[in-house]
Amino acid sequence: MKILVTGGTSLLGGTVAQRLESRGHDITCFQRRSNPWGLRDVLGDIRDRDQVIGAVASHDAVVHLAALVAPKPRWADAFAVNVTGTENILAAASSTGRLVHVSTPSVAFGDRPAMGEAVGLPDYRGKDAYAHTKAIAERLVLERTAVPTVVIRPHLVWGPGDAQLVGRVVVRARRGAVVLPDHGRALIDTTYIDDAAAAIVAAFENATAGNEATGRAWVVTGGDPRPLAELLGGIVQAAGLDVRPRSLPAPLVGRLGRWCEALWPGDEPPLTYFAARQLSLAHWFDQRETRRVLSWQPEVDVDEGLRRLTEWFGRQPG
Amino acid sequence: MARSSRPREDAQPSATDLRSWGLDPAWSRQVTFSVRPDSDPVTWHVLDTGEPKDGDGPTLVCVHGNPSWSYLWRDVLSTLGRRYRVVAVDQTGMGFSERTAPRRLAERVEELVAFCRAETTGPLVLIAHDWGGPVAVGASASLPVVAMVLSNTAVAKPADVAVPPLIASARRFVDLSCRRTTAFVAGAAAMTQRSHRAALLAPYRSTRRRQAIGDFVADIPVFPGDPSAAALASSAAALATFAGPVLLVWGGRDPVFHDRFLRDLRQRVPGADVHYEPSASHFLPLDVPIGSLVGAWLENTDVTEAAGDRDGASVAIGSAHPVEPADLAPSDGASLLADLDRRHDDHGFVYRGPDGDLTWSDLHTKSLLAARVLAAHGVAAGDRVALLVPPGADLLVASCALWRVGAVPVVAEASAGLRPLRRLLRAAAARHVVAPRRILTAAVAGRMTPGAQRFTWGRFPRSIDFDRPVPASTTMDFPSPDPDDLAAIVHTSGATGPAKPVCYTHGALLAQRGVMRAMVGQGEDEAFTTSFGAFMLLAPALGLVGVRPDFDVNHASELDFDTLAGALGLASVTTAWLSPASARSIVATAGGRRLGLPVTLLAGAPIPASLASAVAAVTGGEVRAPYGMTEALPLTDGINPEATGPFGGTATGAPLPGVAVVIERLSAPGEWVADDEDWGEILVSAPWMFAGYDSRWQQNTEHRVVIDGRRFHRTGDVGYRHDGQLFQLGRRTHVIETPLGLRSPVALEQPVETALGTPVAFVGVGPKGAQVLVCVLEDSGDLRLADDETAHQVRSVGSEPVAAVLRGSLPTDRRHESKVDRVALADAVSDFLAGR
Repeated sequence: MKILVTGGTSLLGGTVAQRLESRGHDITCFQRRSNPWGLRDVLGDIRDRDQVIGAVASHDAVVHLAALVAPKPRWADAFAVNVTGTENILAAASSTGRLVHVSTPSVAFGDRPAMGEAVGLPDYRGKDAYAHTKAIAERLVLERTAVPTVVIRPHLVWGPGDAQLVGRVVVRARRGAVVLPDHGRALIDTTYIDDAAAAIVAAFENATAGNEATGRAWVVTGGDPRPLAELLGGIVQAAGLDVRPRSLPAPLVGRLGRWCEALWPGDEPPLTYFAARQLSLAHWFDQRETRRVLSWQPEVDVDEGLRRLTEWFGRQPG
Repeated sequence: MARSSRPREDAQPSATDLRSWGLDPAWSRQVTFSVRPDSDPVTWHVLDTGEPKDGDGPTLVCVHGNPSWSYLWRDVLSTLGRRYRVVAVDQTGMGFSERTAPRRLAERVEELVAFCRAETTGPLVLIAHDWGGPVAVGASASLPVVAMVLSNTAVAKPADVAVPPLIASARRFVDLSCRRTTAFVAGAAAMTQRSHRAALLAPYRSTRRRQAIGDFVADIPVFPGDPSAAALASSAAALATFAGPVLLVWGGRDPVFHDRFLRDLRQRVPGADVHYEPSASHFLPLDVPIGSLVGAWLENTDVTEAAGDRDGASVAIGSAHPVEPADLAPSDGASLLADLDRRHDDHGFVYRGPDGDLTWSDLHTKSLLAARVLAAHGVAAGDRVALLVPPGADLLVASCALWRVGAVPVVAEASAGLRPLRRLLRAAAARHVVAPRRILTAAVAGRMTPGAQRFTWGRFPRSIDFDRPVPASTTMDFPSPDPDDLAAIVHTSGATGPAKPVCYTHGALLAQRGVMRAMVGQGEDEAFTTSFGAFMLLAPALGLVGVRPDFDVNHASELDFDTLAGALGLASVTTAWLSPASARSIVATAGGRRLGLPVTLLAGAPIPASLASAVAAVTGGEVRAPYGMTEALPLTDGINPEATGPFGGTATGAPLPGVAVVIERLSAPGEWVADDEDWGEILVSAPWMFAGYDSRWQQNTEHRVVIDGRRFHRTGDVGYRHDGQLFQLGRRTHVIETPLGLRSPVALEQPVETALGTPVAFVGVGPKGAQVLVCVLEDSGDLRLADDETAHQVRSVGSEPVAAVLRGSLPTDRRHESKVDRVALADAVSDFLAGR
């Protein structure tokens, strides 16, 4: 099958594209810069409808991962990429046979703990531009799509080479500035990169007319929640660093987030309120339905993931 | 007085309002009918679920009291509306029905009869609350009523009960309290949760709309000459002649229709099923899920056509289950009292303790004397008597005296706490109370036994001297009780849920004596000691000398090595029955010393093998950990507590002769599990088992299973059978439901405790079925994350994924000081890991 993967330069996009290719599919990646994985590229801007329609044409399916992920992007930028970009994909994908839209559990973030929750409605309307625009995009997809569509919300994807969670933690740790709200007690589930990619491939395979998986959003996690302190401590250790995280009361961390947002000049403040709350509150989900409907099981638990991460850091130069 | 004969348009509730009150607007309608062809029609507002979707059966007609309206039956309507047609009416002048001239009770009865005749066909079930009770009961005489459910109501004021203060004060100032102000309505509505108040008050916003509330209060017959006294008397007569099943559902915290009214109704309907909810108040139908209760009760009575497969009698029994033949336990058939009479001139000790000694002859004489005092003051066979006497010589005398007259001691332990104690005692509705002075003062001050006749030792204001001689003419000829007669009411500890009243018959106590005789020594001079208060009574029953160690029985852990050694020095004790907390304390204070104690029985909570062997090292004798509970004790021989089985847990020995044990599959109730196949809920049957929970219809139905014609008790414990032994895995409510399946905390804890040498508790957090495991290591202080190394150690013990490893103090129950309160712990852990 000819599949267009958007956002192919990211770790998750690249891993998904490679997995699909190894299953015998014909893969093209669509994004602004050429991908580092040696896959075929069509370069273009997701915000440009004509470019998107041109790229999608003659493909049988679209796997849409392209998104603007930043701690505090400008609203217009986030909207253009995450909402307009998704609208363009929707318009173009109507000529194909199936669509996988990659979303995030943040679209249902309610500033309260999520303990073993089912999939929430994508009704986030808070100040975080990323979560807000992704919520709008997800609603657009579920309301408007003309082809069999599966929406996947992978939760906190991490692994070797991941610039988001692992990358940021290591940067902080090197600076000696790892701060945990309330000693990092919140129970948080994560998804190892290989499992997240496998779940997206499973979503692609289930995006067929009449399949139970279509027309709905599925949260995907490793199903091995751990206290935040264990997760961050494990990553810091895997990187070979010896840093003792400091603890601050969770409400104070939230306030620090607000101040940073207000005072920081660029789009990468060291902390935002949204990030502070996500680190302070439990986030883990009931995965039984997801696993049954996608016929998918995670294979790498946190301990195994950390082992692989340690190996990977060991192979890195310097 | 200008009253419109038709309700105004605005008098009807809007669909939005109904929805916000949890009512389906489709249920709401108006019905106009006449009591007689020539009388003025009246218009009622009713909530009517219409023809049921699933099944047919009687129509359920619900009648509210004053001041409320059909909203009261919200849960019945929504829960049972698919199965039955449920019609909840607003009485004339009340709720959203027409406002008219005042109605008397007799007219209200006529109206309900006329309404039912006009609007329903076929058999009826009447469900009534408060002053709806006499209306419904009065109407039942003229209608095809097949069953009645009555909640916190009355058909007569018991002679010794004052007029409820709320009614009394309202009546004096009827117009001011009921009509001109919302005092009465609001006062009543304050007796339930705040969320119900808006709905309860909605129909009564103006003085005009509150008129009938005042009329209703004014009509309540308090004195024989009141206009409606005759109508109330005919309701009482209708109840007496009603032949169908009756369920009394009672809220124990109702200040208006309190427990004395329940006692009155029970006497009027001796065959009634009673379901008592200690924590519910006046508006019980709003306080508890009454719909499912009534539904279950109707399925269990003969009023529904689907009544064929009720009672669990026809539950299919898998061929794999091994039920032992129901051979009776060995028993010589003689009672404690017969022994007492036989040994009336035996001057050997029957009891030795810090409060003094008692010989068989003393016990015989004193109990006989006390029995005559009781009988002289009207204590009759079957009377319930609150027995608030601490363990000791006095308790032996009082118990024997009560049994002589055939009275039923009600025993509740003060360790439960004063408030629960009051609730238990009031629920038992004892007619008399026996207590030492100090405790009697407290019981009276705490209104624990209202209206009960008081007995104590020595003179005391308004009490009867328990050991003052009475005229010789008083009868000494007490009939011996029937084996099926109630012998005692004791209470579960409350360690694993709210304390429940447990009824024992004389037959069961006799059988228990038989099985205990087979377990402990029987020599003439052998003695028995225990850390459990009530077990002290076992000693004379077994023909042994009872020795009480000098410690506060309410604090089991205060029994240390020296205290027990002191008790053993008083007589040749061959058997000690200890709680785990006492056993731990004795082991901890032994300091290398040893006791010569041939047999130690440990019971009260699952006994870890490590504790059993530690106790054996101190006593130098045999240690047994038999399985049992307040409802049935003992059930296994407790031999070899160190044995291990395939699913972990604690070994409790082999079932005793006469005991049948069945393991029920948790995922499939009614399916039994073969030995070694799996673990599940433990069901037990024994001749010395309890007869049922007092006034707990729902719990009795849930816990009783009939298999092959034999009555079993669902214990709420989980476990399995292996190699002839019964293994216990803790409480069913503590079972953790993970996506991978069900997990018993006990089985997870044992290997971790062994590896780390620290007590730990496993709990599940998250919704059932998606729960993750959390391990808490016992440590002082608040919950906190354990260090990485400890977490790693815990995870490396088992193969189960463990989400978090914490440290913190493990909450234990008050009575045994040994059962970890896993429900409280799970809540605390869940809050902790949720973050903030």
